[in-house]
Amino acid sequence: MANRIIYIIMLLGLLTATSSMAQDQESGNWDTEKIKGTRHFPYPSYSGNPYLTDKFISGEIDFADGEKIEKLFLRYSTYRDEVIYFNRGISAQIVIDKLSISGFTLFGDDGTKRVFRQQYFNGFNSGNRFFEVLSDREITLLAYRSVVLQYCPVYNNEIGIVKNMEYVPSFNYYLYTNKDGYIPIKIGKNPFLSKFTKPNQKLVRKLLRQNKITIKDEPGMVKALELVEANRIAINF
Amino acid sequence: MKKKLLILLILFTVFTGKALEKKHFALFSDRDTYASGETLFLKVVAPSDEPSGVVKVDLINSAGKIVVEISKKLTNQQADGFIYLPDSLSSGFYLLGTTTKISSELTFKEIYVSNRFTGIPETGLALGPKITNQIVEKEVPEMQIQGLVQGYKARDLARVTLRLPDSFISQISGNLLLSVSQTTPGYNPATFSANLQPLKDTVIEKDGVIVEGIVKDLKTGEPFKNGLIFMSIPDSLPRFDFFLTDTDGRFNFNLDNYYGNIPVVVQGFDKNEKRVIKIAVKHPEVMTSGLPDFESRTVTPELRKIAEKNNDAITFSKIFNQKEISIQPVQMPKKESYPFYGLAKSVVYPNLFIDLPDFTEISRELLTGVKFRAYNRIPTLQIFNSSQHTYFNDSPLLLLDGIPVRDLSVIKNLGSKEIKRVEIIQSERHYGNLTFPGVLAIYSAKADYLRPVESDELVRLNVEGIQPEASLNTVLDQKESIPDLRRVLLWEPSIKPEQSINLDFKVSDIQGSYKLLIRGTTRDGSVFYKEQSFEVN
Repeated sequence: MANRIIYIIMLLGLLTATSSMAQDQESGNWDTEKIKGTRHFPYPSYSGNPYLTDKFISGEIDFADGEKIEKLFLRYSTYRDEVIYFNRGISAQIVIDKLSISGFTLFGDDGTKRVFRQQYFNGFNSGNRFFEVLSDREITLLAYRSVVLQYCPVYNNEIGIVKNMEYVPSFNYYLYTNKDGYIPIKIGKNPFLSKFTKPNQKLVRKLLRQNKITIKDEPGMVKALELVEANRIAINF
Repeated sequence: MKKKLLILLILFTVFTGKALEKKHFALFSDRDTYASGETLFLKVVAPSDEPSGVVKVDLINSAGKIVVEISKKLTNQQADGFIYLPDSLSSGFYLLGTTTKISSELTFKEIYVSNRFTGIPETGLALGPKITNQIVEKEVPEMQIQGLVQGYKARDLARVTLRLPDSFISQISGNLLLSVSQTTPGYNPATFSANLQPLKDTVIEKDGVIVEGIVKDLKTGEPFKNGLIFMSIPDSLPRFDFFLTDTDGRFNFNLDNYYGNIPVVVQGFDKNEKRVIKIAVKHPEVMTSGLPDFESRTVTPELRKIAEKNNDAITFSKIFNQKEISIQPVQMPKKESYPFYGLAKSVVYPNLFIDLPDFTEISRELLTGVKFRAYNRIPTLQIFNSSQHTYFNDSPLLLLDGIPVRDLSVIKNLGSKEIKRVEIIQSERHYGNLTFPGVLAIYSAKADYLRPVESDELVRLNVEGIQPEASLNTVLDQKESIPDLRRVLLWEPSIKPEQSINLDFKVSDIQGSYKLLIRGTTRDGSVFYKEQSFEVN
C-alpha cells in the first residue's frame, strides 16, 4: 500500500512538473541590442578633450520608442553633441542615431550618475541637443556641455607636431520649464540673483546666507535653486 | 507509515489540485446560424493562467480545413473579434476553434453556415462534429433582466435593465458579453473542449504575431548555424529585423503591434558566405491535431427555414450596402520616425531629370558617389565613403522598396520611369551587430515588393497580423424606406459588471425569435449565462 502511494505521489509530481514546464518557453532574440548608428571615426587630435569622459564608461540609453538598453559602454562627444557606444560584438565605436534616443545616463567609476536628456533648443543654433540634467524639479537646471575647436597659439603636441587648434570647453547653463522654455544662467551669486525681482533678491540673498550656500560651482547652483523652489520664490523667466 | 503517506497524498492533492484543474477557453459567438457573406462576431476568454498575449480563432470546415484564421490580442485574458464568412463557403456545419500557439487546450463551437446562393442541399444531410467534452454553461438565476417584453414590432426601441447582485459580481472574472440576436429554434449547437498536442519549438506570442521558421543547409538538409535571416516589411518607413540562427537553425520575428494583412519578406544566407541555405517558414495549423471526428447529421426543417430566410435577408442587405461592422482605426504605438538605415543626406528623384534607360545610366548621370557597373554582364555596386574619401570595397546594403536585395541584376534594368526616388547613405551604417558599407535605397514607382524573386533563400509571405477592433453597426435612425435587415441587434462584448446595466436597442425588420443573452466566466473558469427570449412580429 505504502509503495503504491509513493508511486502515485511521484506520478502526480511528474505531471505537475511537465504541465508547468510547457508554459516556460520564452521568445527569441528580437530584444537584443539592435542599436542604429554610424561608424565613429576619431576626431582630429588637438589639445583638450572632445569628449566628456576620457574613456568609455558604463551607461544606459533611453530610446525614443520607450525602450531602454542598459550596461552599454558609452561616451558623450561634447564636440559633436552625440553619443557613442562601443559595440563589443564587432569591436566598433558607433555614433547612435540622435533621432532614435531620448536620453542617456552615464555612471562614473565612483558611482556618480549623470543624466542627459535630448531636448529641442529654440535659442541661437536651434535644434535637438543633449542637456545634462543637474536638477530636475519644477524648474530644471540644464547644462549644455559643449566643446569648441578653436585657434590657439602654436604649440607642439606630444609627438612634436606643430598644432594651432585646441578643444575648449564652453558650458552653458539654462533654467528650463515646459511652459516658459529656456533662460540662460551663469554660475555665480549675482547672475543667480538677477533672475529674481528686486524684493525677492533680498529674500534669496538672506536665504542663501542663512543656509550657508555659495554659488561658485554646479552643486552650489543646484542647492540654491532647490532652496528657492522650496521657499516658493518665483524666478523671472 | 501508511497513515503518514496517506496524509501526504491528501495534502499533495489539495495543494496541486488548483494547478491540475482543467481550464479551458470560453468561446462565444453572436449567433448559431449564418449565411455566407455575413460577419460573425465572437468573444474569447482565455484561462487565467494562459501566458500568451495573442489568441487564435479559426473557422474550420467539416473536412478539417482551416478556412479563416484570425489572431486577437488578449486584454485581461479576453478578446473579441469578427470573421467574415466568405461567399465561397458551402452550406454545412463548421467549427469555430480557439487556442493559443502554445496551449494544450482547445475550445470548439459548432455553427451552421448556409451558402446564400446555393442554399441547403436537398438531401438535408451534412457532416457535423461528434461532440465530446461538452462545456456546460450554468444559468445564473440571481441575475435579472427587467423591461424586456415578450413581443416587439419591427423597429421598436427596447429598453432593458440588467440587475446583478453584489455577491455574484464579486465572482465574475473580467467583463460581460451582452448580445441580442436572432435564434434558431431547435438548433442548440454545443461548445466543447479538446486536447491539443502543444507545438514543439515554438515561442509565446506576447504582443503580436510571430513569424518563425528554420534554415537548413541545402546540401546536407541539416539545421544551419550562423544563418543570417533578414525580415523586411515594405512600407513608407520599411521595417527591418534580423536573426542569427543557432545550431537548431530556428529563427523567429515578432511582428509586435502589426495589424491586418502584412506583406513580409524573409530571406537568409550563410553569414560566412560559404554554404547555400534553404529557408522554411512555419505556419503551424495549431488546431488540426485536436479536431473531432465528423458524422452525418440531418439538417432540421426549422434550421432550413431560418437559413433560407437569412439568405434572402443577407442578399438584400448587400443590395442596400448595409455594413454590419465598423472597424476602428488602430492606435499604433510610437514607431520609428526615420528608416532603419538612417536619414539619407542625398535623395535623388530620377523622374525630374532626362529619361534614362537603366540603372547604370542613372548611377552615372544622377547618383553622386554611386558606382553601378556591369562589366562582363556581372553588375557591381560601390558607394563612396564620405568620411574616408574613398569607395567602400564591399557592396552596400541595397534596398528595393525596403527589401534587401543581394542580386544586383534585379535593379539592372530599372530606368527613370520605374524609380520614384533613390536614397544614398555614404557612411558605414550599423544596425546592432550588422555593418553596412553604405546604403542605397531605391523606391520604385509602383512600390512593387514582388520584384525580388522567391527562391530557397527568399520567401514572401502575407501574414495576418492582429485583427483590429471592430464594433457592430447599430443604426438607430434608419430611414423607413430602407429595410433594416440586422439579425444581431446588440453586441457588447466587454461590459463591466455592475449592479445595474441599462441597454437600449432597436428591433430590426427581420421577424422571428430573438434572445437577449448575457455571458461571462467566473473566477474558477466556468461559464455562466442568463437569457431571455422574445419575438419580433
